Amino acid sequence: MLAYLQKQASALHIKEITMLKTFIIGLKDLKLVFRDRAALIFMLLTPFLLTLGMGLITGRFSSNDNSGALNIPIVIVNLDNDSMGNALVDVFNSEGLADLVEPTISQDAEAARLLVDEDKITAAIIIPAGFTHSIIPQNGITSENVQIEFYANPSRPTSSGIIKTILDGFIARLDEMRIGGVVSVTQLISSGRITPQQAQQVGDEMGKRFENNQNDFNETIITLNTSTKQTESNEVDMLSYFAPGMALMFLMYTVSYGGRSILAEKSGGTLPRLLISPTNAMQILGGKVFGIFLTGIAQLLILIGATSLLFQLHWGNTIGVIVLVCAAVFGATGWGLFITALARTPAQVGSIGSALMLIFGVLGGGFIQTDNMSAFVQTIRKITPNAWALDGFTELAFGGNIASLTTPLLALLTMGIILFLVSAFLFGRKNLMQK
Amino acid sequence: MKKIFAIAWKDAIIRFSSFSEILFFIILPIVFIFLFAGAVPTGDEDNRIRLLVVDQANTSISQEILSELEKSTSVRPDVMSIEEAQEQFDSNRVAAMLIIPAGFDIESIQSGNAQLDFHQQPSDIDANVAQRAVETALRKVSSVFNAAQMALEEAKARGTFESLEDEQAYFNAALETAKTLQADSPERIKTVQGNTPDDFDYDPQANVSAGQLITWVFIPLFGISALFAYERQQGTLRRILTTPTSKATFLFGTISGQVLMALIQMTLIVLFAFLAFKLNWGNPIGLYIVLSCSCLAAAAIGTAMGTFIKSEGQAVGLSIMAGMLMGMLGGCWFPIELFPPFMQSFAKIFPTTWAMQGLLDLLLRGAGVVDILPEAGMLIGFAVIFFGIGVMKFRYE
Repeated sequence: MLAYLQKQASALHIKEITMLKTFIIGLKDLKLVFRDRAALIFMLLTPFLLTLGMGLITGRFSSNDNSGALNIPIVIVNLDNDSMGNALVDVFNSEGLADLVEPTISQDAEAARLLVDEDKITAAIIIPAGFTHSIIPQNGITSENVQIEFYANPSRPTSSGIIKTILDGFIARLDEMRIGGVVSVTQLISSGRITPQQAQQVGDEMGKRFENNQNDFNETIITLNTSTKQTESNEVDMLSYFAPGMALMFLMYTVSYGGRSILAEKSGGTLPRLLISPTNAMQILGGKVFGIFLTGIAQLLILIGATSLLFQLHWGNTIGVIVLVCAAVFGATGWGLFITALARTPAQVGSIGSALMLIFGVLGGGFIQTDNMSAFVQTIRKITPNAWALDGFTELAFGGNIASLTTPLLALLTMGIILFLVSAFLFGRKNLMQK
Repeated sequence: MKKIFAIAWKDAIIRFSSFSEILFFIILPIVFIFLFAGAVPTGDEDNRIRLLVVDQANTSISQEILSELEKSTSVRPDVMSIEEAQEQFDSNRVAAMLIIPAGFDIESIQSGNAQLDFHQQPSDIDANVAQRAVETALRKVSSVFNAAQMALEEAKARGTFESLEDEQAYFNAALETAKTLQADSPERIKTVQGNTPDDFDYDPQANVSAGQLITWVFIPLFGISALFAYERQQGTLRRILTTPTSKATFLFGTISGQVLMALIQMTLIVLFAFLAFKLNWGNPIGLYIVLSCSCLAAAAIGTAMGTFIKSEGQAVGLSIMAGMLMGMLGGCWFPIELFPPFMQSFAKIFPTTWAMQGLLDLLLRGAGVVDILPEAGMLIGFAVIFFGIGVMKFRYE
């Protein structure tokens, strides 16, 4: 029994030593990287400054409102000054459109048009005198059609399109009321419920009702059930795309830097020296890989911490962020080892690593939205850890939690495992860990 | 002259000693031009907000709603299956999704049971716009039914119907009248396009090609600093001291060699964009004036950087960082017209902004040699200042 326990204790001790050596090698590599100023420029300074630059050029730091409110500037010239013209003014001043439109009321149509021509506003809406009278009969008489002038800014097609939609909605409601009134009176006469002589009186009554109770006519016969996606966070910050995108791009540099150190140790003679010590090849390789992994995690956590503190960037659920960072670094480490396994010299690892860093950065969505890219590019981007990790970080920024990260986590872990296995096979064929 | 050529040739040999240099010299710029050109909007495309629509009903009335949405000035309906739409919505790739459920037809509208489902992302202004557009489309499609319903309510207020059939007949007659009236409705909005000067010239392929050309040429020219740091680390600069070679000869040899290589690289990228995108680069003399001045400005900055950077590794890192930052802030990645006003002014401190401006003047605005002289002058100004700093601070050890 005692012998068995001694054997178990000894085995445990060996395991502990093995783990300790792996840990020490990894920690040594981590220290070396953080002493290398050139590496720190790439790992930390560059992604941080590029994130800052992205924030500057997109106006993230020049606006207090990051929620994306449009506040489309328009001028409404109400020359009608009657119920329908006033109703249109009320629509654009309503609370529901507060985030969309920034209306100004004017009485000068020419000045409003000039503001559009000078590209100072998106559109001018000019409601001519008599507009109400052209829709609602007065004393049984409806005037000729009076058109609202929508003076649009051609250099702002999207926002002027939005204003036109709101205007169309209002006009559709007015037409519906008008048609409803005319149909009602026509049908009442044809069914004998009222006489033709009563038509004007009934029509005027209905017109008054429309004017006084317009809100009653807001509802349509088709119900639109609206639902908003439930998330923790309702604020979407554009830096939530750029910051992880940049951090992930330069994570590829870190993992290739780590891979390069394996070949550098071989060519520099330190690897053979390690191999003649009582440390086996697996411990050394495990330590090196652990070092790359630790460095990647440290890099991402420092960048996340810095952007959270300095830019007040909300990265989302803390546990989700930590788990995703580990998975992203695992997937990227796989790529780092794969490049190392393919390359012959440390310089080759550096070159291929830098090239992949940039290509993966673009494909992953770190620089630009990839939605417009071709189907082929959309498919090929799935091989990058950047794309999956960025999907995950976006999900977290939108208020997701670890449960909503299943797909990106699975993809990153699978990617890492496959690349680790392929790399191990290639390392074996190259006899990299031979004395 | 022979010495200058020998130094330039030696630098070329060092630079292209590895095949990987070809990767950065021409392959990556081309890959980036392709990727960026494919990702940015063309400007001619539909810029309305994309609205996912799932039409499970597939009835005449659901088609009417789709038709109204197609006419919308703010949203662009994209019809797809529920699985696909849900996947896109869940992964936040779209602001809103409209589901027209099975059973949505005229009967359901008449009975008041017609319901559509609209799903939107939280705090998303595009979703807000899409909801407005859907409400407008529903209003247009349902207005005749609403009008007929209104007529029915008015009739009921003045007496009851003898039977349900009579009530239905009254509704149907009202509906027909409403349809006729709607068809005859006059246009109540007159749209007039303003006379806004369209000063935002944009062509994705031109912008991307010019932007990538500048970025990928500035980075290696900033890398002259790495060349100096390498030679200093190797001790070869000190050895030059022992030869009858002046500081000016050495610097001129190194810089002219790199500038020449940058011009070759630019020519290859120009040719690529011409062949791949049929891009007209404008006046060739103007083009090479802008390209040459850009090269000189970037080489001067690289020279100045080389005087204070200690190691080759640091020089490489700083060159790439400076190149990427200046490219981004100078409008090489995204049109500078989209930057906030203060950033548009701030960007003028970067040579990349002037280089980009010069190229876009030639590419998009049909500028001639005289028109690009201000940009060329600014670039030469950068070159003079930074060469001055570089020559003054240059040291062999």
